[in-house]
Amino acid sequence: MKFEDYNPLEEKVFKIMDKKGKIINTDDMPNFTNDQLLYLYRTMLLSRTMDEKQLSYQRQGRMLTYAPNIGQEATQIGSAYALEKEDWIVPSFRELGAWLIHGVPLKNIFLYWYGNEWGSHMPEDVKVLPVSVPISTQLQHATGIGMANNIKKENNVVLTYTGDGGTSGGEFHEALNFAGVFKAPTIFVIQNNQYAISVPRIEQTASKTLAQKAIAYGIPGIQVDGNDIFAMYVATKEAADRARRGEGPTLIEAITYRLAAHTTSDDPTKYREDAEVEEWKTRDPILRFKTYLENKGILTKEWDEKMKKEVENEITSTFEEIEGKADTKIEEIFMYHYETMPPILEEQLKEYKDFLEGGKNNDK
Amino acid sequence: MDISKDILLEIYDRMVTTRFFSERINEFFIKGIMHGTTHLSVGEEASGVASCMALDKGDYTTSTHRGHSHAIGRGMEVIKIMAELFGKVTGCSKGKGGSMHLADFDKGHLGSNGVVGGGFAIATGAALTQKMKDTGKIVLCFFGDGASNEGSFHESLNMASVWKLPVIFFCENNLYGVSTPVSKSMNIKDVAVRAKSYGIPSYIIDGNDAVEVYKTTREAAKYCRSGQGPVIIEAKTYRYLGHSKSDECEYRCAEEVNRWKKKDPIIIFKNYLIENNIANQIEIKRIEDKALKEIDLAVEFAKNSPNPPLNALTEDVYA
Ligand SMILES: Cc1ncc(C[n+]2csc(CCOP(=O)(O)OP(=O)(O)O)c2C)c(N)n1
Ligand SMILES: Cc1ncc(C[n+]2csc(CCOP(=O)(O)OP(=O)(O)O)c2C)c(N)n1
Ligand SMILES: [Mg+2]
Repeated sequence: MKFEDYNPLEEKVFKIMDKKGKIINTDDMPNFTNDQLLYLYRTMLLSRTMDEKQLSYQRQGRMLTYAPNIGQEATQIGSAYALEKEDWIVPSFRELGAWLIHGVPLKNIFLYWYGNEWGSHMPEDVKVLPVSVPISTQLQHATGIGMANNIKKENNVVLTYTGDGGTSGGEFHEALNFAGVFKAPTIFVIQNNQYAISVPRIEQTASKTLAQKAIAYGIPGIQVDGNDIFAMYVATKEAADRARRGEGPTLIEAITYRLAAHTTSDDPTKYREDAEVEEWKTRDPILRFKTYLENKGILTKEWDEKMKKEVENEITSTFEEIEGKADTKIEEIFMYHYETMPPILEEQLKEYKDFLEGGKNNDK
Repeated sequence: MDISKDILLEIYDRMVTTRFFSERINEFFIKGIMHGTTHLSVGEEASGVASCMALDKGDYTTSTHRGHSHAIGRGMEVIKIMAELFGKVTGCSKGKGGSMHLADFDKGHLGSNGVVGGGFAIATGAALTQKMKDTGKIVLCFFGDGASNEGSFHESLNMASVWKLPVIFFCENNLYGVSTPVSKSMNIKDVAVRAKSYGIPSYIIDGNDAVEVYKTTREAAKYCRSGQGPVIIEAKTYRYLGHSKSDECEYRCAEEVNRWKKKDPIIIFKNYLIENNIANQIEIKRIEDKALKEIDLAVEFAKNSPNPPLNALTEDVYA
């Protein structure tokens, strides 16, 4: 595929598979083995099941706030699958599928959402940065890593994510501008899930597409059907190839939909119609991929059942491994900002401990 | 669009006033008579003045660190600007702000600003006020090419466009942010291209042509006033002097400076006035003499004004 053929100003969207799982663009269809296809499908299931489990644990009071990815699996998994092991992922906070593909252990993911700092401590060979809660700030880190890569004359790329809401942050502008000027090998994926909490896409920005924001930085930008795992993979792969050839950054707007709530503290029925959600359910990325695999005879009912059980067991046993054993120690809140704790944080830690022990220093 | 003789001559008046004012300030800094720092817009008088002149009474402006042309363009009294630069109580900010705090709310001038990109959000907020109160007034926000790379540019343009606020974002693209040429701070040639990010219209104009600046700003103002949202105008121009008082301009060549000096905005406009029989040499001379006189008087006034008292230091920080 060529980015030039998908000018966002002409509202062209890159697609390979339609919502019924039919391949509508055979030219760009990637050549995956059956094992690869099943691995992708299994990861989608793992992500979806993990979300469902986390949501139910949270409701049972066994987990803290959680931000589900349901409906966005193809965007995350398709894009991350286009990377090499040595490439970096710089996430926002809703990229479960990308983490799984890039090798983040389930245990880390649980620990993170359990409020334990060690969740962000990735294995040495897993090039994934911790979750970034302040919206769009991670984009600058991604540009910075890309620039460092150029300075060190390495050939890795950086894949970073933001939401549709994140495109309105000043950091988005500064990060993409620098990436454009310094030809950082950074791929910016916007997960346009149509909402920033309750703010719909149409109220977020006046431009027709988010992809066209690339024009401001002199870089390619395209819209991709984010519920089409093949399209997401191919577009990201092309962006990665460009980046590796020294041609700089790319902006990909993945058109998708958040089928669940923003987080466990949100009630989406307050700001969107059920009919809208139902319509998007017909474009469910997992359903369409499953239909494709079934039609091709790659996925059988037995396999599907077996995999569902497998991922469920994996999730349950990992959660049981940490539940009740992974509470964060007070120290840990202060410990990891610096290599060694500076006096000002030591003071704060002491004050906090005193406070918890009955407010010794409280009246001053 | 016909521009009346009165307006044309007033534009010329304010342009030469800006030029003479800036040259005088430069001299004071070199001689050590004036302190702190300042950013002069010698060479950029057409973009700064003619745009302000295209606004209506009651419209607002936000300015930049390079804001003398905007203050004079909005009709602020030169004595108050001069006194401010001298740090005297008679200055527009009581002598406590200097060159980057030139404001006159009665004239709708919300002020020059030491923070690059600091004006965007102020302008956007002021425009939101106009819309909510339905005043029919608009805001013109000056900014530099460098400032267009700031996050505040993006956040403000995004908000102004999604809420259809009446702002003209007016870029004085003088090709450099201090020593950094545009080509090294953005991967596009024209700042105005960024309008595409916000789905808004834009203009790219010769910023050294006062007539073009005036007409384009009028047109853009009409668009904003009609409630259709913001506009970007990019005026290509050039500063002759250093970025601020301590700049030897080692990053650019004399040939480039001379090329731009051949397109001097004041000479171009003077020729326009004469060739179109709008003013003759005598009238032109009279305007220039008047401007020089005004500056002499302002210097006298400023020098004779008192310094702010020590206890003024903590005043005016919060309402
Ligand atoms: C700087 C900042 N402002 C506000 C918030 C609160 N907040 C958390 S998520 C969110 C919405 C993000 O929307 P979007 O970028 O579309 O991502 P999505 O949640 O849809 O995945 C907001 C406003 C925050 N985390 N950081
Ligand atoms: C936030 C901020 N960063 C840096 C500076 C220092 N600074 C002053 S002027 C300037 C360059 C501005 O360039 P541009 O916007 O093109 O305006 P010009 O000076 O060319 O008129 C810089 C970096 C500042 N004042 N504010
Ligand atoms: Mg969103």
